[in-house]
Amino acid sequence: MKHFSLSLIFTFLLILHLQARGQDQCFECHKNAEDNPSKLFDHDIHHQKGITCAGCHGGNSQTDDMEQAMNKKAGFIGRPQGDDISRVCASCHGSQEKMKYFGSSLPTNQWKNLQTSIHAKPALKGKEQIVQCTTCHNAHGIVSVKNPSSPVYPLNVVKTCARCHADVAFMRSYNPSLPVDQLEKYRTSVHGMRNGKGDPKTAQCASCHGSHNIRAVKDVKSNVYFSNLPGTCAKCHSNTAYMKEYKIPTDQYEKYAKSVHGIAVLQKHDPGAPACNNCHGNHGAMPPGIESISKVCGTCHALNAELFASSPHKKAFEERKLPECETCHSNHEIVAATDKLLGTAPEAVCSRCHSAVQNPNGYLAAKVMRGLIDTMENREEYAKELVDEADQKGMDISDAKFKLRDIRQARLQSRTMVHAFNEAKFEEVVDNGLKTADFVISESQSSIHEYFFRRIGLAVSTIIITILALALYAFVRRLERKKNEVNK
Amino acid sequence: MKTFLKKMYDWVDERVELKGLVDYMGKKYVPVHRHSVWYYFGGVSLFLFIIQVVTGILLLLYYKSGEELAFESIHFIMSKVQFGWLIRSIHSWTANLFILSAMIHMFSVYFEKSYRKPREITWMTGMLMFFLLLGFGFSGYLLPWNELAFFATKVGTDIAGVVPVVGKPLMIFLRGGDDVTGATLSRFFGFHVAVLPGIFTVFLGIHLLLVQRQGMSEPLHWKEDPEQKTMPFFPNFLLRDISLWLLVLNLLAILAVFFPWELGKKADAFAPAPAGIKPEWYFLYMFQTLKFIPGKLWILDGEVLGIGLFGAAGVLWTLVPFWDLKSARGEQNRLANYLGLFAVIYIIILTIIGWLA
Repeated sequence: MKHFSLSLIFTFLLILHLQARGQDQCFECHKNAEDNPSKLFDHDIHHQKGITCAGCHGGNSQTDDMEQAMNKKAGFIGRPQGDDISRVCASCHGSQEKMKYFGSSLPTNQWKNLQTSIHAKPALKGKEQIVQCTTCHNAHGIVSVKNPSSPVYPLNVVKTCARCHADVAFMRSYNPSLPVDQLEKYRTSVHGMRNGKGDPKTAQCASCHGSHNIRAVKDVKSNVYFSNLPGTCAKCHSNTAYMKEYKIPTDQYEKYAKSVHGIAVLQKHDPGAPACNNCHGNHGAMPPGIESISKVCGTCHALNAELFASSPHKKAFEERKLPECETCHSNHEIVAATDKLLGTAPEAVCSRCHSAVQNPNGYLAAKVMRGLIDTMENREEYAKELVDEADQKGMDISDAKFKLRDIRQARLQSRTMVHAFNEAKFEEVVDNGLKTADFVISESQSSIHEYFFRRIGLAVSTIIITILALALYAFVRRLERKKNEVNK
Repeated sequence: MKTFLKKMYDWVDERVELKGLVDYMGKKYVPVHRHSVWYYFGGVSLFLFIIQVVTGILLLLYYKSGEELAFESIHFIMSKVQFGWLIRSIHSWTANLFILSAMIHMFSVYFEKSYRKPREITWMTGMLMFFLLLGFGFSGYLLPWNELAFFATKVGTDIAGVVPVVGKPLMIFLRGGDDVTGATLSRFFGFHVAVLPGIFTVFLGIHLLLVQRQGMSEPLHWKEDPEQKTMPFFPNFLLRDISLWLLVLNLLAILAVFFPWELGKKADAFAPAPAGIKPEWYFLYMFQTLKFIPGKLWILDGEVLGIGLFGAAGVLWTLVPFWDLKSARGEQNRLANYLGLFAVIYIIILTIIGWLA
């Protein structure tokens, strides 16, 4: 069986070779007729590799007798329809042996990938998939992807994709919710502008979405799925050699991976956390301008942004052209904000601008605010310890336990309120937290006190009751002894 | 001090003729023999009943019946009311010790054959009080309206619903509808604090009156005892009994402080039943038996058969003074002894199995 299969493959390759080397009568006649397919096929890479019309359409291209050439018994299939188009392509492009025969090192999994992609969904007719090989690569006149005239050449691919993706009526029939302005946005992006100027290295549709294996954004296997996206961007942006000519840093991914956002996306797979596109945009990707950073951060951190906008820092930052959130929190390497950021210690960001001599008011305010937040944290810790102690002693401390959340809430609120840079407002929030902490501490202490009171009370009452019981018993025994003595 | 007490006694005696009662009690004698210790469990049960009444009344001051209030009010009692935790814990622990003490009292009376003529009515009122006691336990268990109580009541009333003919109406009557709801809680509260105590007090009155009237029962071998030792009921027996009550009070205080009765999670009718729902220990042997009986036994429904058997056993047990004629004649009845022994062993083993299951 194995020998039979090998001999079949060999025979097939031999025929193919002979066809390739011999005269392509189909092409000759069609060329004479000056029809469009033959015109395009003239400079088609397949034609150049010696593949005849029969390679895709079947039949016998060695004869000029049309009946013989297009005889179905000779394998003529005419114009392939539906998925047969891609199957015809895959008959060679899916075979490593055949591709090797023609001296190609192209991968051979395109058809397989296409079948698992979003484009493999059934077309409106329902009998075939939406996209065939020819949809993007054309049928006749196919050239290498490196050829600038190829529709899938990096500078052309955006237009090729946009043929469908910018067609409102077409896209509506498949996915009405999918935007159709990707190309428009792309042209406003740094990638799009460079691509428009003829730079084939900048990212285009296929760079991020893939080519044959394009999947829906919500598909976890998609290159642009939220947790895969930073890696996709990093393929170029972390490649020092590739990015050399653009003169921009290449450590964004490294920093982002360490950031609070990066940990949430890459390690915790939290879809609510931002990936690259949430701050930079996706099709219209561009670094946010200084003035728009707080707006970008504010899409998620709305309250912080609002408080900052009404704070005295707003004007000061604008005057000094300081990026609002980034100045204190950095950009790609945003670490979880701790109380250490606040105050006048060397690691506190306030001290970068506020010094005791040059800006005593700000310096003092930062010092006071840090002191208050530290006090609240200490009180919260103490309250927690007492609640745990009371809990371990088996006391019902549910009210205090519940109130612990309120202290934490107040602490979180105070962290947010920092962005107002207003001591009075900050104190108000901290005061609420401290009052709640005092309540929890007092309740827990009462419970712990009650615990000991119960045990002492039990010991005292047990002693009294036992003495009473023994006294009664002794009394009865005395009565009985007396009676016995009387009887005697 | 002694003169003051004497004066007080004389003052009361002058008005209510206390001397007559004291003399009557002083003339009452309690037989002293090797099984005398069992006599004390009647008194202990009475003491536990008094504790239940007192702590129950105290709980009533703060308890609020109702789906939305019951759990919260108990939580309030336990966390905010001064000594509320103690009262609630003592009430719950006493309920259990009361049933245990009543069981010991019942079995000791049974094995001593104290139900013989002329004490048939005393035995029957005791048995009826025991059944009422189980009713107290069942109705009181639901009152905190917590998860375990809710589902245990559901299972318990479901079992009552299996009884042929009267089962379904009985279940609806107990629940105040098709399901265990706030209506069930309201009527269980009513049963627990009004209906059952009312009936119980009547039976208790008769029971105590008869005990005083007839005195303590003498064992079968008493007549053959050449010594026939006795002790005066007042003050000797009563003071000894009170000493024991004090020790029981100690035990209750220790249990309440070291093992405070938990409240659990609030009942939620829409939540799935927690795993391992079990009734209180005193129903466990019946519950476990019903679990062991196959669903269908010949033409009979297994559950119906189980309930029928327990019902018949209960009736037989209550009517023992009327079928144990041998004991009534003063003879040993080995069959009655073996039946009692079987009942004790059966209850203990099935309770342990149910507890471990």
